[in-house]
Amino acid sequence: MKSKRVALFRAASILSLLVIAGVMMVIGRGHTVYLDNKSMDYNGQTYAALYKIVAFVDGEQVASLSGRERGMATCIGQGLGVALEVTREKDGEEQSFTVTLPLPYSMDGIIINLPAYLAGLPAEAYLSEFIPAPEPSEDEDSETDVLPGDEILPDEELLGDI
Amino acid sequence: MKSKKNPFLELIQNNSVPIMFIIICAVCIPISGFSPGYLLNEIITRMGRNTFLILSLLIPIMAGMGLNFGMTLGAMAGQIALILVADWQIWGIPGIILAMIISIPISLLLGLFCGKMLNMAKGREMITSYIISYFINGLYQLVVLYMMGPIIPIIHTSIKLPRGYGIRNTVSLLNMRQHLDNLLAIRIGGAKIPVLTFLVIAMLCLFIILFRKTKLGQDMRAVGQDMDVARNAGIKVERTRIVSIIMSTVFAGLGMIIYLQNMGNIATYSSHSQIGMFCIAALLVGGASVERASIGNVFLGVTLFHLMFIVAPSTGAKITGDSMIGEYFRVFVSYGIITVALVMYEAKKRMAKSKAGKMLEDAQGKGEGN
Amino acid sequence: MDKTGNEATIGINTKFLEFIRGFGLPRFIIAGFLLILFIMAPFVGADFATQITNTINRFSWNAVMVLAMVPMVHSGCGLNFGLPLGIISGLLGATLSIEFGFTGATSFVMAAAIATPFALLLGGGYGWLLNKIKGGEMMIATYVGFSSVSLMCMMWLLLPYRSPTMVWGMAGKGLRTTISLEGFYDKVLANFLRINIGNLSIPVGSLLFFATLAFLMWSFLHTKTGTAMTAVGSNPVFARASGINVDKMRALSVLMSTWLSAIGILVYEQGFGFIQLYMGPFFMALPAVSAILIGGASVNKASIANVVIGTFLFQGLVTMTPTVMNSMIHMDMSEVIRVVVSNGMILYALTRKTEAKT
Repeated sequence: MKSKRVALFRAASILSLLVIAGVMMVIGRGHTVYLDNKSMDYNGQTYAALYKIVAFVDGEQVASLSGRERGMATCIGQGLGVALEVTREKDGEEQSFTVTLPLPYSMDGIIINLPAYLAGLPAEAYLSEFIPAPEPSEDEDSETDVLPGDEILPDEELLGDI
Repeated sequence: MKSKKNPFLELIQNNSVPIMFIIICAVCIPISGFSPGYLLNEIITRMGRNTFLILSLLIPIMAGMGLNFGMTLGAMAGQIALILVADWQIWGIPGIILAMIISIPISLLLGLFCGKMLNMAKGREMITSYIISYFINGLYQLVVLYMMGPIIPIIHTSIKLPRGYGIRNTVSLLNMRQHLDNLLAIRIGGAKIPVLTFLVIAMLCLFIILFRKTKLGQDMRAVGQDMDVARNAGIKVERTRIVSIIMSTVFAGLGMIIYLQNMGNIATYSSHSQIGMFCIAALLVGGASVERASIGNVFLGVTLFHLMFIVAPSTGAKITGDSMIGEYFRVFVSYGIITVALVMYEAKKRMAKSKAGKMLEDAQGKGEGN
Repeated sequence: MDKTGNEATIGINTKFLEFIRGFGLPRFIIAGFLLILFIMAPFVGADFATQITNTINRFSWNAVMVLAMVPMVHSGCGLNFGLPLGIISGLLGATLSIEFGFTGATSFVMAAAIATPFALLLGGGYGWLLNKIKGGEMMIATYVGFSSVSLMCMMWLLLPYRSPTMVWGMAGKGLRTTISLEGFYDKVLANFLRINIGNLSIPVGSLLFFATLAFLMWSFLHTKTGTAMTAVGSNPVFARASGINVDKMRALSVLMSTWLSAIGILVYEQGFGFIQLYMGPFFMALPAVSAILIGGASVNKASIANVVIGTFLFQGLVTMTPTVMNSMIHMDMSEVIRVVVSNGMILYALTRKTEAKT
């Protein structure tokens, strides 16, 4: 009786931890979003860069983009809520949008082409994955040169901040 | 029987280590030239960073297993969890929580191993747990340096070594750096108080206080006092000891995650190895001994030890003109304090033993006389 | 027929198991592993003679420090994790000898001579301390070693050394982390009577030096004092009853161990060619401890044979694994293997039930 209750309690706590872990994996996924204000071609049509776009996330300005510029924002979760202030042409009228950009789970860095997005194109048009340029292969040798006199010298281990 | 002592003298005698540290700090602070505001801010930061880890040492002391040098095992579990979470790009508070959940099963396994080993080495738990921490460190390197990549998938090149497997010397936790501390943080005159971190610490304190009153907690204290008596009273001694080590390891793992989220990066191959030594030293500075430690000791210890830690380098530099002196000094103090505590503990144990022997002899002598 | 055959195999099996049990499973695995390494070495293109030379070289560097374990194990003080204390005496001897301007072979003799009083002084205090805390020697020894090393870290910076070969060039004071021994006692023992056959090179002088010390140790253990020391270790109550001064014996063993480790570090330095200061001696105890354990010693039993076998196996492992592993799987896992093997061995010795403490 008691052991059964203990087993049940254990199973329940393990299950709840697993559920929490699962939820955390979904809501905690971080992305770096790159907002582009660049011209782009799609299905033979050209969507020109706009004169100026100012983007706000959580009331904070993250980017103020003239034509052919790129801004960056970080985001936790699968959607980025952005407030955009768009000026289409020089001395034109300022328009405000508040949009939620859906972000795919599997991508770390995501490029959003704003002119294409604002023109209402589908996701595959305005969204692409940001692939960081491969680092110049600095030969950072992991094996620190341990003298043949062996034994790890713990200098860095012990001296340092805690 | 008991001779009346000067209560003031007794107070000094019982708290000689903290008093010594207060004197050291009192001398060093004016020389170092730090402002009180800066020191206060630093102490609060470090208290939030380290207290949870130090609290994890209390439970094995309660079970009579001495200072758990095996808390390093928990720290390694925490680091493995954080490396995985960093690779999966889970950020912020969810990342911290996820890392904590992942660290628990690893800590459980390591704690189980440590507990079993310590049961085979009763009477020399400390040296054994100390060697276990080195042994597991070897396995940790095996996992992190060779298995992460080919066996445990690691995607991001910012974490992986350029050679294609193994983890870099430092893993950045920029995306969860101080997220726990900053949520609900209060600023009072330049000093940031990480309220949420302190709440988590308070929860652990509360847990330890309540745990002492449970059946298991009582059993642990009984085991700590006398294993044979406890066994005769029907307590499963071995199991109780294993449980105490497992709990300590799990808490150490969680504590390490709190510690590292504050630091903002992991020194993959050295973060864990120093942490055990400094935590134990801090606890002892707070007036704890090998067989007795309270939550009060933890807080006093963390304050005094880190005060010394902050001021020592610049004081040393001011006096001798060489900043390394202070760095070596604090390492020396950490080791020295552990040595002194261990010597006092063993000497006391031996004195009690010989006293018991003498009493037995006297009793026998009386018996013969009669 | 069948029956007897079965019995015979069972007999062989049990004998085999007993042999393993007596030998110790970890020891068996390590010896087997080393054997495999030696067999593999030619196949992966490692030069056999070079490998043997390396192993013997490293053996000659480390053997004296492993020998230093013996007296304390005999007197029941357990494994000397406080080896760094003796090492510090050796380092003081080495640096002072250079500071006073001795060169060549004389500097080695003088280093040993200067190290001796330090070793006696520190060893005496250490022995007195260990007598106060019987039963907890190993843990306290570890921390005595650590605190003395970190204390000396400050001292190396503060002591008024002036010799330009040793101090930092810029500041003109404070000793360097590594000091080259060229011109002093670099390879002074190793080159004495050195035998060179093709790629094989044997440092006869170092080996002879070790052999002399080992022989002295062996004969000491067979003197009256030596047997008394062993008696103290195996049964202190009995020893006290038969009129042996237990504390004195233990203190003597600690003194010997400390002096031997001081000499041991000098031998190590002459082979290695450098003096390593500051955190250098920090982890020197663990390899020495695990070496003697691999050689078949336990927490309370050790012989000269254990020292020789253990050092050879351990150093063989350390030298062979990198070359063989590297050419086999292109991963240098030797560091990890060394950490796991040496600490696993100590762990095994500490957790054996048969060694219930007195």
